Amino acid sequence: MTKTILKAVVGLILLAALLVVPRYVESPYALHMMILLFLSVSQGQSWNILGGYAGQYSVGHAAYFGVGAYTTMMLMHSKQVVPWVGVWVGVAIVIVVALVIGSICFRLRGPYFVLASIAVAEIMRLSAINLTTLTNGAEGILATEIPAFKIGERVITDFLTKVPFYYIGLFLALLTIGITYWVQHSKLGYYFQAIREDQDAAHSLGIHITIYKNIGLVISAVLTSLAGAFYGIYVGFVDPPTVLGLDVSVQIMLICIIGGMGTIWGPVLGSLLLVPLSEALRSNMITEGLVKVGLVSADSRVGLFLKENLAHAHVLLYGILVVLVILFMPEGLMGFLKKLAPRRNREAV
Amino acid sequence: MAVFLQSLISGILIGGVYALIGIGLTLIFGVMRVVNFAHGDIMMVGMYLTYLLFTLLGVDPFVSVLISFPLMFFFGGFLQKVFINRVLNAVAQNQILLTIGLGLIMSNTVMLIFTSDYKILTTSYSSSTIQVGGGVSISTPLLISFLITAAITAVLGWFLLKTDTGQAIRATAQDREAAQLMGINVSRMSVIAFGLGAALAGTAGALISPTYYIFPQVGGTFTLKAFVITVLGGMGSVVGATLGGILIGVTESMSAVYISSGWKDVVVFVLFLLVLLFKPSGLMGKSRT
Repeated sequence: MTKTILKAVVGLILLAALLVVPRYVESPYALHMMILLFLSVSQGQSWNILGGYAGQYSVGHAAYFGVGAYTTMMLMHSKQVVPWVGVWVGVAIVIVVALVIGSICFRLRGPYFVLASIAVAEIMRLSAINLTTLTNGAEGILATEIPAFKIGERVITDFLTKVPFYYIGLFLALLTIGITYWVQHSKLGYYFQAIREDQDAAHSLGIHITIYKNIGLVISAVLTSLAGAFYGIYVGFVDPPTVLGLDVSVQIMLICIIGGMGTIWGPVLGSLLLVPLSEALRSNMITEGLVKVGLVSADSRVGLFLKENLAHAHVLLYGILVVLVILFMPEGLMGFLKKLAPRRNREAV
Repeated sequence: MAVFLQSLISGILIGGVYALIGIGLTLIFGVMRVVNFAHGDIMMVGMYLTYLLFTLLGVDPFVSVLISFPLMFFFGGFLQKVFINRVLNAVAQNQILLTIGLGLIMSNTVMLIFTSDYKILTTSYSSSTIQVGGGVSISTPLLISFLITAAITAVLGWFLLKTDTGQAIRATAQDREAAQLMGINVSRMSVIAFGLGAALAGTAGALISPTYYIFPQVGGTFTLKAFVITVLGGMGSVVGATLGGILIGVTESMSAVYISSGWKDVVVFVLFLLVLLFKPSGLMGKSRT
């Protein structure tokens, strides 16, 4: 009992702290990092619902992310539809796409499902490249002018700073965490987990597996498309490889797998690890750090090589991390920590 | 008519190379029940190996097969021993993730070494053709690579059917436990099978390098194509993979001519989904559980 109260208090303090961050933190870079973190949490959490709880490993979530991002951006760019309306058009399209994909892919199991999900995402990517009149093809869509958000005559925000994005991102991350929490503690979640553990047993207990897999997919896809739309509006640019590429699908998965699948805090943990690491690589912080410490001199060959190349190495890092996680902690960081915890308790006794 | 024949022939020729990639994947799946998502990246490593041999030592891409086949065999054996072997009994998802991770490591390491620039291997015969008559011409490098592919496939068939090791590999694929009870060293067969799979993929990479751009991310597309091919032919079936490869080659070149080259991969993936839907055991129809 005291433990739940403690948890709730810690949660509320954290939430309050997150809500006031933009009042005290002015550095746009710090806010940018937080926004990336929120985006990553919502991506990982969306995948978690289908992959972690229902056990359907989709390697094609870029399809939903990309459709969400593209629809919102296309409507804003060519039809002047405001993004907070366009988003829902995107959601509607994603629901249709998800149900079509679900009806095709959920007849398949294991590796076949994985393959089919990749194939569908690739069809989306290639279509975005080829349907040039709609999507502007490989050049992508650049749309950075977001109209001000007004209620009546009052301007709520004009999207000129990162602060509104911070709150939207925070809302999105909390929303996905909340939905995951609800899924885990509802009948729906138990159905999902039954399907994950043993599809045939679940079926024989009277769970309609195709229907529940599709429900899981639709929830997951809608949340992913919201994250996609948010990404598109925030960055102001979408093109086929950055929102529809296979890399995107893999990254979405990795957040969850590295953190721990089928747990509420897994994707959060995964994001806390992956976002700063890949940002540090991208911005050359690691090389600068090594130079400062004196391990490498800035103009030696090694220093120059690192400076030039480490910025592109974050995907390499993902690869190494996933191999290490699968080989040494297949339950992800959460599973690893849980295994550590009882050992510590035992020592305490 | 000439256009039709032309695209049919070039489809069959490129299909031969696809078949090689598909056979490698199907061999690995057959023996270990592991779906190798790093297959295209292994092929990419083969392409860069050929590129290095050509630019540094001046070895002809087709001759380099003699060097890259054994090297890639050891590379594959190494991957199996160090990584894949540890997840043989894990759930399928973890196997898939591990190979995805290995693929990412390969493509990004190559990118760090060679940058992501497109490289072209220009040989004296890269763009030469042979006129067959009736307005139909055959690209010389594609023809040579097809002939080499056919030879390799024949030798591989002989190896799998006639030699003791080959029979042991097939026995392992049929029933791992029974094979083990019969005294077959299944873990060694797995290393050989993965080595062969990698060697075949690497060889395919060497064979297409005179006619294809070489870049670190080239593998992804080929991994997908390899799956389409093996699923078409029936997972685990070598004959099926050969036919599947040629079918995909022809489908691609036909849709490039009659629809548009931008949509040719879409056609292949749609075909793939249709097969998964209506005949998941593959066109060859041997269903295995």
